[in-house]
Amino acid sequence: MTQHLTERDVRNIAEYARIGLTDDEVAEMTVDLNAIVDSLSPILEYDLEGVEPTFHPIGGLSNVMREDVCEEGFSQDVALENAPKRQDGNFLIPSILGEGGDR
Amino acid sequence: MAQNFSCLGAAELRRGLLAKEYSATEVARDALFRVRALDGAVHAFLETTEELALSQAAALDAAVAEGRGAELGPLAGVPVAFKDNMNLAGTHTTCSSNMLRNYVSPYTATCVQRMLDAGALGLGKLNMDEFAFGSSTETSAFGPTCNPWDVERVPGGSSGGSAAAVAAGLACVTLGSDTGGSIRQPGSFCGLVAVKPTYGVVSRYGVVAFGSSLDQVGPFARSVEDAALAMNALAGRDPLDCTSQAVDADFTANLAEGVRGMRVGVVPAFMEAQGLAPEVRAKVQEAADHLRKLGAEIVEVDLPNAQAAMSAYYVLGPCEAFSNLARFDSVRYGYCDPGHADLGAQYEASRHRGFGPEARRRIMLGSYLLSSGVYETYYYPAQQVRTLITQDYARAYEQVDVILAPVAPRTAFRFGEVTDPTSMYLSDMFTISINIAGNGGMSMPAGLGADTGLPVGVQLIAPQFKDENMLRAAAALETVYGPAPVAPAFAPGAAAPIGAEADIPDAAQAVPGVDLPGGPWQQDAGVAGDQDVPDDARGQIAVAEGAAEQA
Amino acid sequence: MRKLEEVLEDWEAVIGLEIHAELTTLETKMFCGCKLEFGAAPNTHTCPVCLGMPGALPVPNKAAIESIVLAGLATNCDIEKRSMFYRKNYMYPDMAKNFQTTQGPVAFCMRGHLDLAVDGPAAKERYRLDKLAPGDVDGNITRTESGYVAHVGITRIHMEEDAGKMVHLGGGEGRIAGATHSLVDYNRAGTPLIELVTEPDLRTPEEARLFMQKLRQIYLAIGISDCSMEEGSLRCDGNVSLRRRGATEFGTKTELKNMNSFKNLHDGLAYEICRQAEVLEEGGQIYQETRHWDPSKKCTIVMRVKETADDYRLFPEPDLAPYDLSDEFIEGVRAKLPELPDEKAARYEADFALSAYDARHLVEHRVTANFFEACMEAAGADAAKLAKPAANLIINDVTAQMNADAAFDLDACALTPARAVELVQLVSDETISSKQAKEVLSAVLAEDADPAAIVEARGMKQVSDAGAIEAVVDAVIAANPDKVAQYQGGKTGLIGFFVGQCMKEMKGQGNPKLINELLAKKLG
Repeated sequence: MTQHLTERDVRNIAEYARIGLTDDEVAEMTVDLNAIVDSLSPILEYDLEGVEPTFHPIGGLSNVMREDVCEEGFSQDVALENAPKRQDGNFLIPSILGEGGDR
Repeated sequence: MAQNFSCLGAAELRRGLLAKEYSATEVARDALFRVRALDGAVHAFLETTEELALSQAAALDAAVAEGRGAELGPLAGVPVAFKDNMNLAGTHTTCSSNMLRNYVSPYTATCVQRMLDAGALGLGKLNMDEFAFGSSTETSAFGPTCNPWDVERVPGGSSGGSAAAVAAGLACVTLGSDTGGSIRQPGSFCGLVAVKPTYGVVSRYGVVAFGSSLDQVGPFARSVEDAALAMNALAGRDPLDCTSQAVDADFTANLAEGVRGMRVGVVPAFMEAQGLAPEVRAKVQEAADHLRKLGAEIVEVDLPNAQAAMSAYYVLGPCEAFSNLARFDSVRYGYCDPGHADLGAQYEASRHRGFGPEARRRIMLGSYLLSSGVYETYYYPAQQVRTLITQDYARAYEQVDVILAPVAPRTAFRFGEVTDPTSMYLSDMFTISINIAGNGGMSMPAGLGADTGLPVGVQLIAPQFKDENMLRAAAALETVYGPAPVAPAFAPGAAAPIGAEADIPDAAQAVPGVDLPGGPWQQDAGVAGDQDVPDDARGQIAVAEGAAEQA
Repeated sequence: MRKLEEVLEDWEAVIGLEIHAELTTLETKMFCGCKLEFGAAPNTHTCPVCLGMPGALPVPNKAAIESIVLAGLATNCDIEKRSMFYRKNYMYPDMAKNFQTTQGPVAFCMRGHLDLAVDGPAAKERYRLDKLAPGDVDGNITRTESGYVAHVGITRIHMEEDAGKMVHLGGGEGRIAGATHSLVDYNRAGTPLIELVTEPDLRTPEEARLFMQKLRQIYLAIGISDCSMEEGSLRCDGNVSLRRRGATEFGTKTELKNMNSFKNLHDGLAYEICRQAEVLEEGGQIYQETRHWDPSKKCTIVMRVKETADDYRLFPEPDLAPYDLSDEFIEGVRAKLPELPDEKAARYEADFALSAYDARHLVEHRVTANFFEACMEAAGADAAKLAKPAANLIINDVTAQMNADAAFDLDACALTPARAVELVQLVSDETISSKQAKEVLSAVLAEDADPAAIVEARGMKQVSDAGAIEAVVDAVIAANPDKVAQYQGGKTGLIGFFVGQCMKEMKGQGNPKLINELLAKKLG
């Protein structure tokens, strides 16, 4: 089996995907992901020169849009009703310092 | 007095309502009673919606009483239930995940609304593999669903609860979603008519996304007619889903036409595939023979690129899932791990504890496959392969009107029998290429397998937006095999009933932010096998039996 | 740190801008029907789509697509008929779906440009402009009489959605640093946003400022945004790098944020250029990083170091159908294109014989351009004659009024176009002097009266009687023999002194033209 990903790669991916994994889980995930990626090899064996990709399996459907007309949305209460934490009509989150993102 | 209305067909239910043989309220009460009396043995339901069912029923009864019977929708009085990835306002929509066990929908999915608008009685929400990642319903955070044909076995997945509910006669029609086979494979395992329409036929709005370019909603039913009636209710353009399209077909119109003159394709490569159980192969051949005898022409067609579908699927599905599941971040809804002073730690702990292992695996895989460098190696080629597979099908349909194929390589397996992810993924080997190309496909019951004695479905695959073709061929097969039965142990008058009472939470108690009760960690819940059935539950079954003869 | 002018002698600054504009003039958000409204109570304009609820799907706003095509046509872009939306994946709490819906390699608008006329003090930042003669071309600039024209490439304009708003609590001044909690409001989430990216064609902070100003004029003219830099509906990031004069390789660039006014844009870039020069001259290294302009401390500070290129896992958005815009759609949008500021200026030059400078300044604001046109209409047959003084009145006096008082509303003030014409007419026929005109203008605004009536009431009429003026001129010459001697000895600048003395004698009512002529004759 080819080693597509190292444990270090898996840790980096987990960090990007924001999933905390224990050391054991990282080890197990590395084995699983390598096995799965190995099984994807048929993709690599195709001669795809000049083949257009199909990002949307919807035939020739295009330009699907709506008119610029207001629709009723949620009240503030409904918007927030599932929020784990809220304050003054807002969603409340702990300190975000050090978060990624291009801001 | 139980009358087992959920074991009847949609047309019969509607007829009875119009003839005032019974009221919709009686149907709703009886259906809910049956769910509570029997679901303990299958664990198909996560939550009931009694108020919804009764209010729908009251409206139907009022219409009948006021002489507006003609206004009743095509699914009037039909007990239905929904996979728990479909939003229904006021219910938990958990996707069988700890991540969403406290999420209560503030809105309703289009497919759910359309069923209700057609007069159906919504009974509740159904178990599934977590976020639809799986083929056995074993990954549900609320514990697995059992196959009503053999409760030691899985019902298939991911729409296992939807399949089990119909197979156990706990609903007449249910909705599932199919990303790689999640309607058809459990349909085959539970012996049901199970339809995955062409991508774009049914709106995905309000259905929690797994693979956005692959997902499609469809019905489970015990007859082709019921499935077609549900398709009529579901199909068509929804302004809230850009990928939905106008559909003007009446799916019930040509069911009685038979297959004379129809050209049915079989794919030799599928029939020779490694891992295809002989009893399943035999059923596909048998179905082909029946169709030939009924006047169809059997034509061999080639899908040269179909073998790449599996790899393409395990690229595209996880990539889309990775992105779709990014929104579960503990900020607006869902599980929030307590006690974190910074958001990064809260994210990581919430997503670690909220997602099960298979969900985490798919998210990680998608994140890897979309990263720069890897995208060019796998993602982009997978989309090119999709073009080749789509062209394969288009070419095949120049020769045939419908393709006949296996659904799953084998019949339902035992709990825990398939454990490693890559083997589990093989469950979908005959269904995945249809999602990749976007065509419609369905599982049609073809009786029981010669070796296992368990239900076997055969797959009928339609050209895009010609879903009526596969329903027509299915209806022809139904003349041979008969409508799908309720699983024997759950049928009214069962010789050895195994249903068990279930304490299912009801949406009336649903409070946003409060967990839906249930799950394997609760001592009094979990998967009830034969030995767990309390005596009084058996008593309930006896009542049910007695009533069945009257119905 | 050295001064910008000195730094730019040794270093060439390479500047590119990324300019975001919210399409605030639309009714609804980009992908859902929630109302666009600034300042509403938090989370009151939300729905399943813009809150990223499970199962929600986006549907694009057609008017937003029309707006971006309009922006592309107004900035000389090619409109790409075939394009798609993509998902830009990264987790951040103000982004409900944790991906931003944006465009991929092909945007709706590609390969545009704007030509910037740079003159006056703004042209001084340009390196060795004095070595060029009018008509000379140097790189992307062409020398003109009054400065130069810079041809600035626009890489693309793409369609995307804005994020929600966050308020940071527990730290100082609502800043993220030191905050213990943050509040998130998704009212703004999903606001249609267009991002324009320029080529790295800008060389001075002034050019950057002028580009931003010109783009703002265009966006206002086509009506797609209120372009409020204060409220954040028009935002600008700058990429800056330096290279030695004559070098062809680009240096390492930094990305500059928080330049939320034209002044901040200029000053932030100027500071960053000087900072980079200092680092480089001391043998240091510029790191690819995002920096924040702090206008109060007048410096840029590091926000984030980019060790590796960001990997946003971009892939085509499967929930949105691709675009294949028809000619009909594009031509339909083109038909809505109003007269743009450049076209308007060219028309003023042609129709009213205005200078390019005057014409350009008149069209800087839609309100001044409209006012000018109303004046020309009011002037009737005298339009050609009064165009230049009317333009001067607007560019100098009216604009000064507007700059001094943010609440000043030209359309609603006492100076109607008819009164403005009357005022310049009074100057033109030498009834009052241009100096008196300023006083009359103030009176018009303060008293809401006609200029002629004010002149009458205050007895302000200009004295153009040659005899009366000559008497004063003679008296002034007689009273200042030493100055006369100096003047005649070559200090001709003293003419101003004599004019001033005469005007003083005549209480400001003497005709300055006549006074000048008589003084020149008598002293000459």
